[in-house]
Amino acid sequence: MEQVAISAGHDTAQHSGTGVSNTKLAIWLFLSSDFLFFGAFISAFLLYADRTPAGAKQLTDELNIPFTSATSFILLMSSLTMVLALAAIQRGDHRRVRIWILATALFGAVFIGGQVFEFTEFVRNGYALQTSTQSSAFFVLTGLHGAHVTIGIIWLLSLWGLSSQGRLKTEDAPKVELAGLYWHFVDVIWIVIFTVIYLITPLTQGTK
Amino acid sequence: MTTVSDAISHVEQPHQRVDLLHRPTKSTGFWSWFTTVDHKKIGILYVVTAFVFLLVGGIEALLIRLQLAGPNGKVLTAAMYNQLFTMHGTTMVFLMGMPLAVGFGNYLLPLMIGARDVAFPRLNMFGYWAFLMGGLFVYSSFLPWNGGAPNAGWFGYTPLSSAPIGNGFLPGHGADFWAVGLVMLGIGSTTSAINFIVTVLNMRAPGMTFLRMPVFVWMMLVTAFLTLFALPVVTAALIMVYMDRNWGSNFFNSAIGGDPLLYQHLFWIFGHPEVYILILPGMGIISEILPVFSRKPLFGYTVVIFSGIAIGFMGWGVWAHHMFATGLGPIAVSAFGLSTMLIAVPTGVKIFNWLGTVWGGAIRLNTPMLFALGFIAMFTIGGLSGVLHSVVPADTQQTDTYFVVAHFHYVLFGGTVFAFFGGLFYWFPKVYGRMMNDRLGKWTFWVLLVGFNLTFFPMHILGLEGQPRRTYRYGSGLGWDTYNRIASLGAFVIAIGVLLLLVNMVVSRKHGQPAGADPWDGRTLEWSIPSPPPEFNFAEVPEVEARDDWWHRKYTEDDRGLLVRLPSGAAEAVGHGDAEAGHHIHLPSPSYYPLVLSIGLPILGYAAVYHTLWLGIIGAIVLTFGAYAWAIEPPTAEEPA
Amino acid sequence: MSDEDAPSGTTLVQHIGPEGVYEAPADLGPEGILLPGELHHHPDPYQYVLIAVFLCAVTAVEVLLYYADGTIATWALVTLLLALAFTKFVTVAAYYMHLKTDAKVFRRFFILGGVGALVLFTIVLTTLHIFSN
Repeated sequence: MEQVAISAGHDTAQHSGTGVSNTKLAIWLFLSSDFLFFGAFISAFLLYADRTPAGAKQLTDELNIPFTSATSFILLMSSLTMVLALAAIQRGDHRRVRIWILATALFGAVFIGGQVFEFTEFVRNGYALQTSTQSSAFFVLTGLHGAHVTIGIIWLLSLWGLSSQGRLKTEDAPKVELAGLYWHFVDVIWIVIFTVIYLITPLTQGTK
Repeated sequence: MTTVSDAISHVEQPHQRVDLLHRPTKSTGFWSWFTTVDHKKIGILYVVTAFVFLLVGGIEALLIRLQLAGPNGKVLTAAMYNQLFTMHGTTMVFLMGMPLAVGFGNYLLPLMIGARDVAFPRLNMFGYWAFLMGGLFVYSSFLPWNGGAPNAGWFGYTPLSSAPIGNGFLPGHGADFWAVGLVMLGIGSTTSAINFIVTVLNMRAPGMTFLRMPVFVWMMLVTAFLTLFALPVVTAALIMVYMDRNWGSNFFNSAIGGDPLLYQHLFWIFGHPEVYILILPGMGIISEILPVFSRKPLFGYTVVIFSGIAIGFMGWGVWAHHMFATGLGPIAVSAFGLSTMLIAVPTGVKIFNWLGTVWGGAIRLNTPMLFALGFIAMFTIGGLSGVLHSVVPADTQQTDTYFVVAHFHYVLFGGTVFAFFGGLFYWFPKVYGRMMNDRLGKWTFWVLLVGFNLTFFPMHILGLEGQPRRTYRYGSGLGWDTYNRIASLGAFVIAIGVLLLLVNMVVSRKHGQPAGADPWDGRTLEWSIPSPPPEFNFAEVPEVEARDDWWHRKYTEDDRGLLVRLPSGAAEAVGHGDAEAGHHIHLPSPSYYPLVLSIGLPILGYAAVYHTLWLGIIGAIVLTFGAYAWAIEPPTAEEPA
Repeated sequence: MSDEDAPSGTTLVQHIGPEGVYEAPADLGPEGILLPGELHHHPDPYQYVLIAVFLCAVTAVEVLLYYADGTIATWALVTLLLALAFTKFVTVAAYYMHLKTDAKVFRRFFILGGVGALVLFTIVLTTLHIFSN
């Protein structure tokens, strides 16, 4: 979504503005609002964390912390590769840009793959969306996060494609920055989810 | 008036070599309305569409009032009644109130800050299409094969709305159309909000500091922030409802611990800022009209703005006053009761400032001024009943009665709608270059004022006498008959008023008295350019030197403080620069992709409602294709080499 | 409005033309082109890697703490875990998302949304009695 390229000829007057680009401002506004979106679902989970009907499966019984730690680590590393991609395009090193963007997308895909595996295991063990209020909150929250990651992967692959065609130039660095900001945000949300839902909830329930 | 557009013979619209589709180039003509990215055209689209929905919502209201005109009404079945009051509320809030504000904002914001367009013109257009698609999607539920319109109230409380189809309380897919449709509308609103914020922050003309911006611009800025942060919360709530209904989740399944209050909290965290989203633009409009028709600057400009900001902030802290009767406990209700009382303060401050503006002014009682004064009176009444709601024990009696219906119609109709009607009369000459008929306008105002009060004032009494909301009929012998009859009569008087307004608009477009650039002797920048404005708005970006800059170019004050008209050369200076200097004004080019992208939304919507995977895949493909094509399309078509 | 956002001794590099449109500078310079709203001295790739190592270390500590349940009081564990998560959050936001080196307006919006969400939902959960009983 490009900003408007309006020029009024030889307009030398100093414009009133924040001095920052329109698109960057826009994405930060969007990301700030996304906090409220995820906040609502995290709250729903926290509300329902202790509410499981007798006999039904609990999340804490199903969690595989080593596995999820590994996938979380991969997502965290994808933030590194993302910012390296940005640094590369700023230097004009387009070969590295493609490598790092592809790596980011790949790590993201591995993360999603890990989630898919994890969730199918849960369902097979009898912990599914319909099991309880807790499970509903868990699956919708993590599912929406996964959807965010997937959109990010598609975005990154599009950038990779454009770069491969030579259509992502050095002056297009802000576009990579935008994708990066989105990607880091999604990672940051996972930092919160992993700590609060995977680590803290079992501890507070004493059922680890 | 037309010198500038004569001098600049045409706006550059060169051919574009595009990968996928030939980019549209026309900026005039019928089809240009589908591909335009011009904020003025988009503003008109929003306002016209919102007005159509106003009429539809009004018809729904008339049907409701026909049913309730007497005891044991037989005009509507209970099922039909539920759909009508749900759709009336949904339509008026989401398809009339918000889009009308966005429409006014779209048209006026760039003009008022001296810009040529908004920050993201294509995104702007997408916002409109998302609105139209969302509205049509929700209304498509009326079609017989879709099983009926939403029927759980415009607020959709759970578990009534969230119980799955089949083993639930409500027949049909109505609540699905509602939930999915509102998510669609929310996407459009969010993009508009981001657009407006970036536009106001980044695209002001040189010298247009924040404290020189018109109050309307400030109010739209606050509204945009409210929209941006409130919509994600309701989107989350709607997703939860949708999941419960369709995929067996248990967010609100009380049998195994789901909490309906979670929904109410999430909905009202959105819902309360939402009502400020609905009223702040109107307050901004009033703040523009009153000074012009009192020939005095706004009294306490800075205070009015800070009050608006305060309302925006405090509005986040009062939501549970919609839940006083749900058993929150004494601490919560006390806290929210207190915060609700406090928010009356900045609101009251604004009212006093408006009165201060009018006091001692050279008042001209044209139609816009009548609506503005009517706003002050009606909104004050609505605000007073609101303060009564903040008293928790009193509210416990008032909740779910017609007292509440009276309150919110006074603030939303007597407030928001009156403000917008005033704005219509005020800015119509700018948009179309013709005045609306002022005499008919005055009649319209009085008819509406009388009709409105006939309809809604009795509801205060009916509410206190116990008539509950959302019930399709009442028995005889309850003592409610007379006031209900009066209210229903009043509704038809309103209808006459609205018709008069409609006739006025339609006839004045072609036959209204021609208006120049500045028929009202205005204060703000939009009056400094021709009516209708040229596509590029300002030939030269204005250099702003003061608040109410346009006024100060026309007038100065002598030693006794009386206005002295400056020579007309100074007044023409803004926006009429050296037109022969050969400036090229590159405007953003039209585009298909906002429309293409928006078509993906209802496709996905139907897929979501009917669980049709292949349709969902098509919708996702349309969205992805639209987004990708949009992203690689430059905002302005390239010039030929 | 822009210069006051820059730390002393540096200038806010804008490359922002009229109406917020980014205009790429002609030459790359030793650090490559700068992004809109970016100050000088953004982290270089080596620093990014160091930060990544730091993030991994913090995550490792978190997981270790998870398994330390029983030796440390639960409330202490929860507090530590929240603190560690917050540290990772701030680190990613400050360095990877460049909030530390960019114009302050971005930081302000981000904090507004984050703190706003935190406050609002804490009130909701409190009202729903999750912190009592």
